[in-house]
Amino acid sequence: MNPAATENAYLPKIAVLDRVVDEIAEVKTFYWRFEDPAEQAAFKKFRPGQFAQVSLFGTGEFPASLPPSPTEAETFFTIRTVGSCTAALHALKPGDKFAVRGPYGNGFPMEDYYGKDLVFVAGGIGLIPLRSCIIYALAHRDKYKKIQIYYGAKSPKDLMYLQNLHEWEKGAGVEFNLTVDRADATWKGHVGVVGSLFKKPGVQVPVENTVAFVCGPPVMFRFVIKDLQALGFHDGQIVSTLERYMKCGVGKCGHCCIGVAYVCVDGPVFTYEQIQKLGEDI
Amino acid sequence: MRACILHRDDVLKIVDLLRQQGYEVVAPFFGRGRDTRFDNVTDENRGQIQIHLPNPYHPPKRFVMLQIERLFNIQQNNGQIQIEPTYREPKRAIFGIRSCDIAGIWHLDRFFLGREFRDIYYEKRRKNLFLVNVVCTDPERDIGEECFCVCADTGPAARDHFDLQLMDLGDGEFMVVAGTPAGEAMFTDPIFRKGTDAHIAKRRAVLDVARKSFKPSTTSWFSAAVRYVSQGKVAEKTWEEIGNRCLECGGCSYVCPACTCFTVSDRRVGPDEVERVRMWDACALGGFTRMAGGHNPRKAVHDRRNRRFFRKLSHYFIQRELSMACVGCGRCAAVCHGDIGMPSVVEMIRRAAAETEKT
Ligand SMILES: Cc1cc2nc3c(=O)[nH]c(=O)nc-3n(C[C@H](O)[C@H](O)[C@H](O)COP(=O)(O)OP(=O)(O)OC[C@H]3O[C@@H](n4cnc5c(N)ncnc54)[C@H](O)[C@@H]3O)c2cc1C
Ligand code: FES
Repeated sequence: MNPAATENAYLPKIAVLDRVVDEIAEVKTFYWRFEDPAEQAAFKKFRPGQFAQVSLFGTGEFPASLPPSPTEAETFFTIRTVGSCTAALHALKPGDKFAVRGPYGNGFPMEDYYGKDLVFVAGGIGLIPLRSCIIYALAHRDKYKKIQIYYGAKSPKDLMYLQNLHEWEKGAGVEFNLTVDRADATWKGHVGVVGSLFKKPGVQVPVENTVAFVCGPPVMFRFVIKDLQALGFHDGQIVSTLERYMKCGVGKCGHCCIGVAYVCVDGPVFTYEQIQKLGEDI
Repeated sequence: MRACILHRDDVLKIVDLLRQQGYEVVAPFFGRGRDTRFDNVTDENRGQIQIHLPNPYHPPKRFVMLQIERLFNIQQNNGQIQIEPTYREPKRAIFGIRSCDIAGIWHLDRFFLGREFRDIYYEKRRKNLFLVNVVCTDPERDIGEECFCVCADTGPAARDHFDLQLMDLGDGEFMVVAGTPAGEAMFTDPIFRKGTDAHIAKRRAVLDVARKSFKPSTTSWFSAAVRYVSQGKVAEKTWEEIGNRCLECGGCSYVCPACTCFTVSDRRVGPDEVERVRMWDACALGGFTRMAGGHNPRKAVHDRRNRRFFRKLSHYFIQRELSMACVGCGRCAAVCHGDIGMPSVVEMIRRAAAETEKT
């Protein structure tokens, strides 16, 4: 029987914060692990694109994507402070305890994409959920054909996961394209919105047998969808993750519904084709 | 399933038997004014339990889905955290629950116990719950202005999901049907007598009369409304009209026997102690979908009203739970100040459809 059937689905397990790394303004990466190694081992079976519920007792609980790939050793969150819970997490110091439950949601069906070209398009902190898939795809490099990454940030100061960006820039078997909306004195790279990278000289976006992953703020999402459609992508070839106010993460509280979908259990990953059929605006 | 006959004077002995078996029994009473309510049965009030009375506004849902429920007690000491789940699972019986509310609990069962995750708090309480259904047969006292269980196909006599079902046959006799082994086990008591074919014929006749006692209300258009909502054929303008009349009080959700939404919140109860509680929530309320940063995907009130009726009436969700989130009790119609309870909404959808068909 599914263990979820007998367990308390709302019960978070104790986690310990190991270290904190600054990413960009207001965004930090929190490396953590479960206090109970058995819990950690069970959790590590998550899929790219899934999320977890993070508890700061006395403040509350919030959903957070899982930016690590299950192929990596460490578990971590990358979180922007926007309100009470995220601020409470940012206030923690290494060694402090909090609690986590999950993983939840459908995640990206990475096995279904074997043999395909993968195009990742990330805007701003949209790179958080996509990081997991990118690392996963590179760890299973022989399973996929071309891998292209298009990442856009507001300014050079807003680029996150710098170490990964360096690896992808130099790495074999991955075409990496970076842009910023506004350059500064030090910037020598491309300037413009992320979709403008598709028209950069030398760039050739594969379409035929391709899956395009798109994550970013709503405006970026709308424009990139148009750009991809213009390149010939069908709506079923475009996948993304949706974000909703979530309380339970397990399909019971009703907060995350969009049309016919409970984002927490039916999503957060949807194809653009599915998104249009939800019956409610995103 | 088995049936027995019970004398009118022995009906409340079911309550006594349940109490002897250790059940906390709740039953319907008249309130101080014209209201009615479910309350705990005590030695003092036992004689005032009502068999025929208007169904209380506040549905018995709150005995399985608590209005405010503590999920965990959390102790935080010297950097250590201890989380203790807190379950409340009394052995409880609801006496006098109406067929619509039986359908409501069945919907909660489908929702909280179905699919990938089960709600263990609900499950523990539900396992200890005994349901004594009373069929609405008295047109004066049982059947309200807004009742439409006949259209929602949940009443007047529930077909299933009760432990015992009582039906007043008139002439001082009740027919008792057992819906579960636990219900049937009650029949060993000598108050239950064997029925005859005449009783069965009487039951049929009483039900026929009861069915005809409902207002031939606009909700007979209910199934057509289900089709219109499911197929997205209700015009945006109609939703706007409905939304304009919503006062965003959330009352419809609070009296609904089939609404399931809740929110979760932490509260400090001591210097080192926190409780995580959940409480009923309502999609009518503006903050329901508001996200961090202030973005609210369902800003306009009509989006949220659309949401409520889509969730309740669309085929998609009926199939998802194999039960409908509207049971025809009519409470939303009785509490809504804007007159957009389910029967009115069905009527507004009907009129809008009639107009478009004319043009
Ligand atoms: C699947 C998923 C994955 C996510 N992944 C990430 C991630 O990897 N990294 C990340 O940084 N973020 C992520 N988020 C977003 C993150 O969950 C939110 O930023 C977080 O929930 C904010 O919580 P908070 O307690 O800090 O904010 P809160 O204090 O809850 O609220 C912030 C704002 O929300 C509004 N608000 C909320 N509730 C109410 C209310 N009841 N009444 C009035 N106003 C209210 C207010 O405007 C307030 O300013 C993800 C979200 C989802 C759904
Ligand atoms: S977050 Fe509670 S239902 Fe999805």
